[in-house]
Amino acid sequence: MSDDIMSRWRRSVEEVTARRQLAECERAQNALSRVTSCFQQLVMSLGSSADSSFLREEMVETRALAHRICTGLSRRLLSLLSDSNPAPSGVADKQEPERLWVLFLSAVENFLSDLRKANDLIGQFPLTQRSNRHSLVNTGCMDGMVGMAARVALVQVPWLTLEEVPSPDLANHIAVLEAMLSEMQLRVPVAFWSVEATQPAWAEALGEPDDPDTNLENLMQAEVTFNSTNVSACCGLSCVG
Amino acid sequence: MQAASLNLLSKHLVGMVTPTSRPLLLLHIFIFPFQAEMILLEMQDPNTGVRSQPQRLVITTIPHAITGEDIVTWLADRLQIDVQEARSFGSMLVALGYIYPLQDHKRLVIKPDTSLYRFQTPYFWPTQQWPVEDTDYAIYLAKRNIRKKGLLELYEQEQYNRLHKWMNHKWDFIVMQAKEQYRAAKERKKPDRVVFDCQERAYWVVHRPPPGTVSAMDYGLDRRTDPNADETQTSDYYERIMIFTQQAIMRPRVKSSVSIGALVKHCATYIGHDPFLSACLPSNPWLTDDTTYWNLNMSNVETPTKMRVERWTFSFKELLSDPRGRDDFRLFLKKEFSGENLAFWEGCEDLKWGTAATMKEKAEQIYKTFLARGAPRWINIDGKTMEVTMKGLKHPHRYVLDAAQTHIYMLMKKDSYGRYLKSPVFKDTVKKAIRPEEHKFNDAQLEQNARNRRPSLSPIILRQQEQELRAKMAANAPVDITQLCRFTTPVPHFSVYSGIIDPPSSNTSPSLPFLPHTPICPSPISVALDSTSASERRLEASEGEGEQNTEARVPDRGNVSKSRVALSLRRLLKRGCSPSAMFASLSPKCHTAAATSSRIQPITPDEPSQAPPRRTGNFFQIKVDIPPECRIYPIESEDEEEENRLASEEVVGTEEIICPWESLTQQNGTG
Repeated sequence: MSDDIMSRWRRSVEEVTARRQLAECERAQNALSRVTSCFQQLVMSLGSSADSSFLREEMVETRALAHRICTGLSRRLLSLLSDSNPAPSGVADKQEPERLWVLFLSAVENFLSDLRKANDLIGQFPLTQRSNRHSLVNTGCMDGMVGMAARVALVQVPWLTLEEVPSPDLANHIAVLEAMLSEMQLRVPVAFWSVEATQPAWAEALGEPDDPDTNLENLMQAEVTFNSTNVSACCGLSCVG
Repeated sequence: MQAASLNLLSKHLVGMVTPTSRPLLLLHIFIFPFQAEMILLEMQDPNTGVRSQPQRLVITTIPHAITGEDIVTWLADRLQIDVQEARSFGSMLVALGYIYPLQDHKRLVIKPDTSLYRFQTPYFWPTQQWPVEDTDYAIYLAKRNIRKKGLLELYEQEQYNRLHKWMNHKWDFIVMQAKEQYRAAKERKKPDRVVFDCQERAYWVVHRPPPGTVSAMDYGLDRRTDPNADETQTSDYYERIMIFTQQAIMRPRVKSSVSIGALVKHCATYIGHDPFLSACLPSNPWLTDDTTYWNLNMSNVETPTKMRVERWTFSFKELLSDPRGRDDFRLFLKKEFSGENLAFWEGCEDLKWGTAATMKEKAEQIYKTFLARGAPRWINIDGKTMEVTMKGLKHPHRYVLDAAQTHIYMLMKKDSYGRYLKSPVFKDTVKKAIRPEEHKFNDAQLEQNARNRRPSLSPIILRQQEQELRAKMAANAPVDITQLCRFTTPVPHFSVYSGIIDPPSSNTSPSLPFLPHTPICPSPISVALDSTSASERRLEASEGEGEQNTEARVPDRGNVSKSRVALSLRRLLKRGCSPSAMFASLSPKCHTAAATSSRIQPITPDEPSQAPPRRTGNFFQIKVDIPPECRIYPIESEDEEEENRLASEEVVGTEEIICPWESLTQQNGTG
């Protein structure tokens, strides 16, 4: 009889740990999304007039943070899914880890494409000398990305990085992530199509808090032409909101 | 970047954009981006580049806006080209996404006025190594959804729903990423946010164009290998080079004067017909978005255009490859009673290009209709070709009829084609051909046309229509009952006689103007009836018993029974059907005639209705037992021969028309 109680107690402990691990992975996934979006904003400014050494340093830092999250998350997801321990509550328990798995792989793929673009762009627009600034494209952006840096700094990795893995440089980072992706896909066979979205289509439109000046479309359209003599030169189709 | 290399580059670019080029946005997708980038970077130069000015918005000012006219002037100046060409070049830059318009963002052209443009950030430049991912587009749409609270444009909504369906497994990631990107973008200063949103929107207008936008990104499928990448020098690579050079050595040679002469002749002939080099009447649909040209040149049109008819005179190949031309030629051949040549040729084409599953059937079909002794539409090919073909038919494959087809093709080309060009049919077509007036659209009309663009008829529907037409044509096809002329004294040119089985009232195909039924010669069948032979008299006696069988076996050719021609034909069939009849060489012919006339002519490919008639054909199972050197004799002598021969054989049951490749014991299921 004590065996029965023991096994039940053990099972409940396992459940609790599993749930905690899942919650941790979810937080990590959110953090990864945040970091990669910031990284994308930085990459978009490469080669433009907003490009600067500050931006490049920010990129390196952001990349390092992303790297830490990626490695930790991949390790945890692997342990969650490749464990042969039969989930106590049956099949339903596998769904959540699988969902996180698919989301993580998609995020890593997305991040990888941004990394590759960054690699190409840095190669195309090196900022090693002052004269290089001549070749930057005048896109109209002048921001120094300070806000972005602050945002990245606020991201918290949900686990302590006891092992300080030195963050790799760009080319190595790409190689590491590619290896990680292929390894994960080989180790655990997860059927991508079995995962379903948890929210219906068009739902995100209702979520975001209202921004007072979100109608950027109107901003982009309505303008005062600088040259008063040619106001009528605009064809009638433009300047319509 | 050195000035020297840039000058070289500009010369190269000028060479690329020829003086007469229209705004063709699909050129040089692989090479152009690299060179465009170099030009773009030059345009940035604060001293020698394009004049840039600030764009004043309600709340802020954004620098680095450039006007269309400044761009055009700068390009014309820098590349030493005229204004029209500079405009094309500029439009190409916009269409590819290197520069985007700030007003009227969906029209990717350079307007040579004060409309504003801005340079796109390099992240959004179109480059081959960065594929445009649907995931990114989904994230963009989700972001837009968040910002516009669900008020997306129709095509965006469609795309959203499609992506939501196909990317459902990562949709949570997409939404999460969209939210994060949205929040991240808010961290930037206001003017930069505006710029960034414009950039992103411009990028997706280029790569997922809204309906009505000309897209420069349609380059088709990705190639398996990148043509600009260096190829590794493996042994395989050298082997390919060796094979290539060996084949090059083995190729037949022609004197350069001859080949150049041929090229010159070709160019001179076709220059008026090339839409790139001459005007397209009424107007080129790709340029003016007006589809009249295509409608006038459809394959089943009643009156072709003058240009099209002129093309038919260039070569026989042109005539045959144009479906309307082929129809005209078919009409002419029908009048000349040599339609079987073209029908055979078409059958061979069908065999060559058809599906592998139906090949054997088709080959059989063609053999029975055109090549067999006593075939209803027998074609006249020389003995050697016939021998080769027969041998090949033992193991039929796709190209087994190639030799015969070539022979017939050359026959038609050398003989009928010339006569066709002088014939009244052709002259009539030429007279009726139309020459449409040239369209002269002004800019407003052009925009109207662009807005009214609609997708054309689906190719599935077109194919169905084609098949229906073919079926109809096959059902009405003439049967050159050449063999029945044996009832009369043999005539030198057998193909003169061809009876049209169905009465003219059954001709329902509207687009192919068939001639009204004019009996050029008295129906050979009626002629046959008159000259009663020994066999006929004997068969008449057994007419009664064979009657029911025939009725059952001849498929519903209701209209056939009404005509006198058909009546006589049925009598012939009855004769052949009764088992006790002497299966004179007469019988197989008429049976195959009936059989194939009840079948759809070989032109149609995989009609399901082919199956039942084929069974019917097998009912008329007659053993062909004529010695190979048999020619078409007057019936009397042969009948007696046949009779004697067969009487000694067991005639119970039915035998089959033996195709050379089928074994004698093969049962086709109909017993």
